[in-house]
Amino acid sequence: MDAAFELRAASVSYDAGRALEPTDLVIRPGEALAVVGPSGSGKTSLLRLLNGVLAPSEGQVFVGGQDLSNLDRSGLRDLQAHIGFVHQDHALVPILRAGQNVIAGTLGQRGFLSGVRSVFWPRSEDLQRAHALLERVGIGDKLFQRTDTLSGGQQQRVAIARALFQEPNAILADEPVASVDPARGRALLQLMSALAEERRLTLVASLHDLELARELFPRLVGLRQGRVVFDAAPVDVSEEAFADLYRLEGLRGGAVG
Amino acid sequence: MLLVALLGGVAALALGLTPEGLWPTDGGLRLTGRFLLGAVQPALDYQGGARPGWDPFWFKVLTALGRTLAFALAAMSLSLLIGVPLGVIASDVWWRPEAFGGGRLRRLARPLQVAVRVWIAGMRSVHELLWAVLFLAAMGLNTLSAVIAIAIPYGGTLAKVFSEMLDEAPRNTADAYRGIGAPALASFLIGLFPRALPDLGAYAFYRFECAVRASAVLGFFGYETLGYHLELAFKDAHFREVWTYVYAMVGIVLLLEVWSAAVRRRMVA
Repeated sequence: MDAAFELRAASVSYDAGRALEPTDLVIRPGEALAVVGPSGSGKTSLLRLLNGVLAPSEGQVFVGGQDLSNLDRSGLRDLQAHIGFVHQDHALVPILRAGQNVIAGTLGQRGFLSGVRSVFWPRSEDLQRAHALLERVGIGDKLFQRTDTLSGGQQQRVAIARALFQEPNAILADEPVASVDPARGRALLQLMSALAEERRLTLVASLHDLELARELFPRLVGLRQGRVVFDAAPVDVSEEAFADLYRLEGLRGGAVG
Repeated sequence: MLLVALLGGVAALALGLTPEGLWPTDGGLRLTGRFLLGAVQPALDYQGGARPGWDPFWFKVLTALGRTLAFALAAMSLSLLIGVPLGVIASDVWWRPEAFGGGRLRRLARPLQVAVRVWIAGMRSVHELLWAVLFLAAMGLNTLSAVIAIAIPYGGTLAKVFSEMLDEAPRNTADAYRGIGAPALASFLIGLFPRALPDLGAYAFYRFECAVRASAVLGFFGYETLGYHLELAFKDAHFREVWTYVYAMVGIVLLLEVWSAAVRRRMVA
């Protein structure tokens, strides 16, 4: 079976330097993995390679066995429409209702007119599906509430529901709990893990909280200054390796990210 | 600061601003007295008696107020119709290469955007009263031309302000939509536009208040708004009537203030 995601010597360079060194990575369908490392280690760049939002400076990216560089724009968009993404800052529309924000998940799957209409004048089937998803993430009663009146944690749940609305094969999450308190963060990550298992989704989350990652994910990829320093189950990584990951460098070369 | 004061002094001398001109004549003092007295006793009925067939005074005031509001509403609707699309084209964010209108229309981009910005600046440069005078000379007393006279500079200002609001709106949602395969235009309409809308709504309401005042002033040119009746009353020396019209104006502006605060609270939750 094709890997859900595969990086072959993929790297990311910006004018300021290299965000990600040439990296090999294979992620099987249905796996759950956490990418950990300090800020600037290349976690975001890696995630953005996986859904084709970022093109590699060198190397190749495969999604479901397909080389992304062989895809034209519309082929890439079709692929992206089935990969959910949860952002650190939610990336919702504050003045819209929660349900509308959830339905917006489908914008990549519908034509322009149909997509716009379905967000501004939602159909009842869409509303029902959105409601069911909001229920699943614990805030079903907020369907018609304006998104900017929800708390940060609740907004992130709306974002998760939006990703699920896409009926995706995979969910990518870039520091999804960085802006909530630790208790709620744990709850959100547990929810995401449970959902991924339930629906057999591939889940790749970048986290800066190492403890949370060790506790909740069966596979950890440690990044430091754009390089993979370990890729294993939490029990198979030595305490030393964990400590090394976050060790403060003598501030010589700047890390990019 | 010092420079401004210095320049101010030079300007005053050039204009011949001397205080002697401020002292009123005897006749002037008496007239002023009568005028100010009217403030305390605004008219509730026609001064100098009503003629048969005339509407009750309060009715006349209310209809004048209504017409002024209608004028302003018409002008604002037209301004928004002009200002919003022009604001989008004038913005930088609309033409971003990997997004929105940038795609196929790139070659048209720069020249069109610059042309629109110049056009907007032109629209804003002439005051609405000046447009009104121009249209009056060209077309005579025509309500539509007066509404257009207000809509031109107002539309231009809305366009400029809106283009800036669009450029400053957070782009993370629109980018997120692009990342899940949404078409560029949909990302703009649903991801970016609504994030600039609350600020635009608040600003448009403020401009509406200005439009109400501008519509009242247009009455001095002969259009049937508050200014028209106010001027007639003044010419007849019915000062108490004048004050009634003034208070009506103050009343409506206060009402709009309250309403605008409520709307702003709702939009910015």
